[in-house]
Amino acid sequence: MPHRVTRLLTSLALAAAAALLAAPLTAAEHPIVIVIHGGAGVIERSHMSPEREASFRAGLGAALDAGFAVLEGGGAALDAVAAAVRTMEDDPQFNAGRGAVLNHDGICELDAAIMDGTGPRAGAVAGVHHVKNPIDLARLVMDKSPHVLLAGQGAEEFALAQGVLLVPESYFITPERVRELEQAKRSAAERTPTAPLPLRPAAPRGMGTVGAVALDAQGHLAAATSTGGLTNKLYGRIGDTPIIGAGTYASESCAVSGTGQGEFYIRQVVAYDICAMVLYQHLPLAKAVDTMMHDKLTRTGGEGGVIALDHDGNYAMDFNSAGMHRGVRDSRGHREIAMYRDAN
Amino acid sequence: MYAIAIHGGAGAVPRATLSGEREQRYRAGLEAALDAGYALLERGGSSLDAVTAAVRVLEDDPCFNAGRGAALTREGAAELDAAIMDGRRQRAGAVASVRHVKNPVELARRVMEKSRHVLLVGGGAEEFALEEGFALVPNLYFRTPERLSQLEHEQRGERVSDLVPPAHGTVGAVARDRDGNLAAATSTGGMTNKRPGRVGDSPIIGAGTYAKNGVCAVSATGHGEYFIRAVAAHHVCAAVEYRGLSLELAIAELLHDILSGLGGDGGLIGVDHDGRIVMDFSTEGMYRGARDSSGRSEIAIY
Repeated sequence: MPHRVTRLLTSLALAAAAALLAAPLTAAEHPIVIVIHGGAGVIERSHMSPEREASFRAGLGAALDAGFAVLEGGGAALDAVAAAVRTMEDDPQFNAGRGAVLNHDGICELDAAIMDGTGPRAGAVAGVHHVKNPIDLARLVMDKSPHVLLAGQGAEEFALAQGVLLVPESYFITPERVRELEQAKRSAAERTPTAPLPLRPAAPRGMGTVGAVALDAQGHLAAATSTGGLTNKLYGRIGDTPIIGAGTYASESCAVSGTGQGEFYIRQVVAYDICAMVLYQHLPLAKAVDTMMHDKLTRTGGEGGVIALDHDGNYAMDFNSAGMHRGVRDSRGHREIAMYRDAN
Repeated sequence: MYAIAIHGGAGAVPRATLSGEREQRYRAGLEAALDAGYALLERGGSSLDAVTAAVRVLEDDPCFNAGRGAALTREGAAELDAAIMDGRRQRAGAVASVRHVKNPVELARRVMEKSRHVLLVGGGAEEFALEEGFALVPNLYFRTPERLSQLEHEQRGERVSDLVPPAHGTVGAVARDRDGNLAAATSTGGMTNKRPGRVGDSPIIGAGTYAKNGVCAVSATGHGEYFIRAVAAHHVCAAVEYRGLSLELAIAELLHDILSGLGGDGGLIGVDHDGRIVMDFSTEGMYRGARDSSGRSEIAIY
């Protein structure tokens, strides 16, 4: 049986990997790193007032520092990514939690996922309307249910059973998102009814979605992503964010969180495919991300960005849209927040 | 070379507990699905049409856990998931947690062809179905006495002795047509006694369903949570594309090393670029069938 040979080889490889992992590492040798994004899209200097830019930078900085504080205190990558994402969910500037974009019916439908590279374990929720921090519910699905993905009312039933306080739909709605929806509906109405829906939905402020990937002092990786999806989306539409392998993925060697046109990310299985290129084609992480964003995804017409991190602390923040809200902080003293194409 | 393979779920199917008459019914159901898909390929039809037709037949057959005869949630309702993927253009469509759509695979196909989205869920998916002119059916249409008694057994904590359709059944099909186009489709009612809102691997592109021309098309059945975490279907395609493994080895590694290592079991069917069919499982049995233009034709359970 040929596959038994593979099995043997795989066992040998696993044993070798285990031996490597068992080698003593001091904290100093093991970098701790967190990388976050706050959405990709039309993010250009010409569209951004200095006040708004400062406000975005402050929001990204707060999320980055919340996650980094967890890592610095010896906490797990899983807790760090949850803390960073929770901070952005609570910040109405970002398209997740409060301030998420509105669907066609004028309400927020939220998706989130979290994955622990060790295990691997994963939890996700889709189409929830009343959960203040969807990322925390995704974590509960992972920790407290035998399932990976819960959707809609079933997810909210589970939230109640777990003692999660629900909030009214109005909690999430901000005046700016109401204006955006009206705008989107007006431009949709200008199209003739028979014209096919555009593959590229109008995205005035881009494809929000927030996410984080982290590497902790124990060498564990985790990824988390949360979003309100697309403005004016069809009721029930689910993007890549809660799809393990598409918008969110973490293994022992690689963690990825994506933001962009979710349908393209699902078809390409973007997050997992980046990790597969690293693992199987032995590409450096940055090269795998570059191949995905500027070759594979661009070729299919998909737009957006990803953040990625490997076991050695190498990271990538790349996008094929005009800009991406992003930030990185590590134990080597590097702290960077940027949003435009030119690394600022 | 054109080829089609189907599955009707994997699980504990001990030979002793499957009566001869029941076994005949399963075999006839698999045969009918295979016939429906193969007939299209033979006439020069597309792999996409062939997998749709095969899965539709299995959805309509109450023996299998998809469409009519689907496993019931803990509240006694059917909640159905389905996905389809076109390997030629890497297009995909999926629906999750629909309760009133007779053939979820057809709605998944419509999502792929008529919406700008890939995955629609619950009430939103059914709104879309109505807009597309689907006639909805009552949830009771899906419920069979066998599934109800299976749910009652499960809720009383009893093992179902005359284990009928496997507990985590799921149906699926993969095909390669004359033009070399690959396609995959999967449809399921999920796990018996599942929590409402639970979505398994079937509608998750990359987990339960994946197709890419020149590489392979895969449909999975089994304990969905494990297949999601392992990104099972795409893992198989990545192993073929990036490591040059044969489809057989790629599927064997996934089932017997990776999923077994995680504690998950199930089965996969796949067809590669050359039309070679692979059907493998880590459970006691898997309802399955294969037919190709070189004369291969088989139906098997154990």
